[in-house]
Amino acid sequence: MSAERWVGRPMPRREDVRFLRGEATYLDDIELPDLLEAAFVRSPFAHARLGAIDVEAALALPGVAAVLTGADLGKRARALPAGAVDDGIVADAGHPVLARDRVRYAGEAVALVVAESRAVAEDAAELVDVDYEPLQPVLDPRTAAGMPLLHDGVADNRLVTWQRTHGDVEGAFAAADRVVSQSFHIPRLVAAPIETRGAIARVEGDVLTVWCSAQDPHRPLAQLGVSLGRGPDSLRVVVPDVGGAFGSKGVVAPEVAAIACAAEDLGRPVRWTEDRAENFLAAYQGRGLDADVELAVSAEGRILGLRATLYADLGAYLYATTAVAPHTAAMLITGAYDVAAASVEVVGAATTKVPTGPYRGAGRPEAAFLVERMVDLAARKLGLEPVEVRRRNFVRPDAFPYETPMGWTYDSGDFERCLDAVLELAPLAGWLELRDAARAEGRVLGVGVGMYIERAGGLWESAVVRVEPDGRVVVRTGSSPHGQGHETTFAQIAADELGVEPQAVELRWGDSGELPGVGTFASRSVAMGGSAVASAARELAERARDAGVSVTDLGGAEAESRFSSGLVFASGAYAALVEIERATGRLLVLGLAAVDDSGRIVNPLLAEGQVLGATVQGLGQCLVEEAVHDEEGQLRTASFADYSLLTAAELPPVESRFVETPSPLNPLGAKGIGEGGAIATPAAVANAVADALAPFGVRHVDPPFTEAKLWSLLREAGP
Amino acid sequence: MRISVEINGRSHEGEVEPRTLLSDFIRHGAGLHGTHVGCEHGVCGACTVQLDGEPVRSCLMLAVQADGRSLRTVESLAPPEGGLHPLQAAFQETHALQCGFCTPGFLMSIEAFLREHPQPTEHEIREALAGNLCRCTGYKAIIEAVERAAERLHRP
Repeated sequence: MSAERWVGRPMPRREDVRFLRGEATYLDDIELPDLLEAAFVRSPFAHARLGAIDVEAALALPGVAAVLTGADLGKRARALPAGAVDDGIVADAGHPVLARDRVRYAGEAVALVVAESRAVAEDAAELVDVDYEPLQPVLDPRTAAGMPLLHDGVADNRLVTWQRTHGDVEGAFAAADRVVSQSFHIPRLVAAPIETRGAIARVEGDVLTVWCSAQDPHRPLAQLGVSLGRGPDSLRVVVPDVGGAFGSKGVVAPEVAAIACAAEDLGRPVRWTEDRAENFLAAYQGRGLDADVELAVSAEGRILGLRATLYADLGAYLYATTAVAPHTAAMLITGAYDVAAASVEVVGAATTKVPTGPYRGAGRPEAAFLVERMVDLAARKLGLEPVEVRRRNFVRPDAFPYETPMGWTYDSGDFERCLDAVLELAPLAGWLELRDAARAEGRVLGVGVGMYIERAGGLWESAVVRVEPDGRVVVRTGSSPHGQGHETTFAQIAADELGVEPQAVELRWGDSGELPGVGTFASRSVAMGGSAVASAARELAERARDAGVSVTDLGGAEAESRFSSGLVFASGAYAALVEIERATGRLLVLGLAAVDDSGRIVNPLLAEGQVLGATVQGLGQCLVEEAVHDEEGQLRTASFADYSLLTAAELPPVESRFVETPSPLNPLGAKGIGEGGAIATPAAVANAVADALAPFGVRHVDPPFTEAKLWSLLREAGP
Repeated sequence: MRISVEINGRSHEGEVEPRTLLSDFIRHGAGLHGTHVGCEHGVCGACTVQLDGEPVRSCLMLAVQADGRSLRTVESLAPPEGGLHPLQAAFQETHALQCGFCTPGFLMSIEAFLREHPQPTEHEIREALAGNLCRCTGYKAIIEAVERAAERLHRP
């Protein structure tokens, strides 16, 4: 083990300079000769039979190079692959590249127009004449089974079926002193990275090169490979600077396969830069989960058993990761608690909406929201303090590795330490005094706590560390940044192993032709990618030591690592103090305290940045964010004017601290840091809102906690 | 239509359609990619530039409206060979950017704001920042960066 001079330091990012100077290269900044631009014709209906498509007028417009429909693509571009989950039944309903015969959501791409400029392509798209025969939309995952079938061969509109039972659930409910039941609705959300999606496709000889705004090159490589029938020798994916993703750029867009076909036909490169309206309509959305949950509890507040049915509003098709979020919600539904018996069923329903997929948290926020609300409801029913009920049910620190009733193994953690830390940080005692004093004045205040578990890491990641003849160190990583700060944190990790300065370490990533890898998702970059860098660098350091020279003398030497491990589980505790303005129903978050156990922290400055960013996304979910579809299946929130993101003016006071229980599963002891705030914040705020409304006889409110919703509840409850 | 716009002290001439957005002229006509397009409906602020010293959203203006006028973009803040502008340096120190896509818009909004408000209160800073969306940072570090830059710029 090397001396740790750099890991643990709050170093500002080296990569910032090019972003601050406006010198970064995002997808739309790439310049290529003869580049054509693409626009898509999109269905205005949520569900319709697709008739004739007349492209003559569009093709006749000067500057138009090609118009392609689903029929034109034929078998050249197959549907993108649907993904499976462990022990689940998943339908074969991958997203078609361009619609054939039927459209299943408003915004689904029906035709591609390629022209000399985006403006001309959009003009021509308006001239494409499509016959639609509207069909009945399917909107509610709870009732989808009884609606018109969306896919031939998919009975009951059931895209995903998964069920697991562990322990004597019937016995637990029979033995319970109380049973607590609640139904939930967690709305769909839009990831809304400020840079939309996009790609450039260029064919030279037999090789298709795709520049793609993506979380990594590896998954686009695999998915486009399936769709287009290309292997790594005829397909290369390059990821430039990426302007945010939050899960939404983890699966390649079907539009990318379409422009690849056009580039092949035309012999010229083609770019698709998504506009904001397209991003709202056609980029996969997050969350979208209804649930019925029951908890069997003893009079002392011990959770004896849990039963749940999760109804996931999956949308029209299955992307490779669509089933992941509801599966993760099911797997984590017992949260930080030691529950002996549990039974969970997932009903993944096809609806006539854009598909869902991972968005920051991806099933974990849903799990935390459900279990943390249930614990508070149980505490209220039993007349116990919510914090005390948590203490009585935590998985104990000496129980790790701990296998949950759903079958995942938590590697490490100390949940009570996180809880104690957040109570002190808030401080909860002061908040309760404040709440009670304000209530005495007739104000509406509430306090809430939310624990969370964040499944992170897993699979493998690659790294190659090379010492150049001049002594510089080049690290190639299969992991890929889109805001996380790999160029700084990975350099800190390599510098410690090699005994050099981080400035001497150059990072390279984002090219599928360079090295295979897995990519950046599930808060796995440091635990997996960082550990791969550490392992490869350590091998070089050992070689240098054996040779009795310094690492910088090993010019030309190279070490490769493929680091793999089981899942690691970050955890934490959040607390919120809220006030609801009686006159308006406006929710004011007066304080938010965040304690995260992400294992060992490589760079506290960047780690806090992840916490704050995720927390504010979590607050957005509580306060304003909701993708609303009307009864026709039209998205009513398809702009930033209708789908609000929080601004600096609405930012509440947020305090963040770390607890560090290192993971035993990797050399860094790291877990995950990217999502905790988005997972725990909605749970803590929801508990605070329920606490605030409890004196009015309100038991539960689903997010978002809008003025209209809260004002109505207060009004119904009387003066 | 033929237009001539001074951008960062240099004259840029070009042939544009009347409908061409100023943001598209800056990016594709003048080839200055530091100005980013995030929403094209005037909410996110990523495309903010300064027109005759005032911050404007370049996606809400036509290129022809800038004919004969003077623009500043993010590329003007620091000389290519020199150090960062104090505002840029403060952003780096406080970790006020992650993916960086919104950052040029924030910088151009705040640089103008600090000229008008050399000693802003935290409330004024938050209000000034509220016209720009950042999805990564949660804003806290951006507020700190503006406070830090204001102190340094105001110091005689």
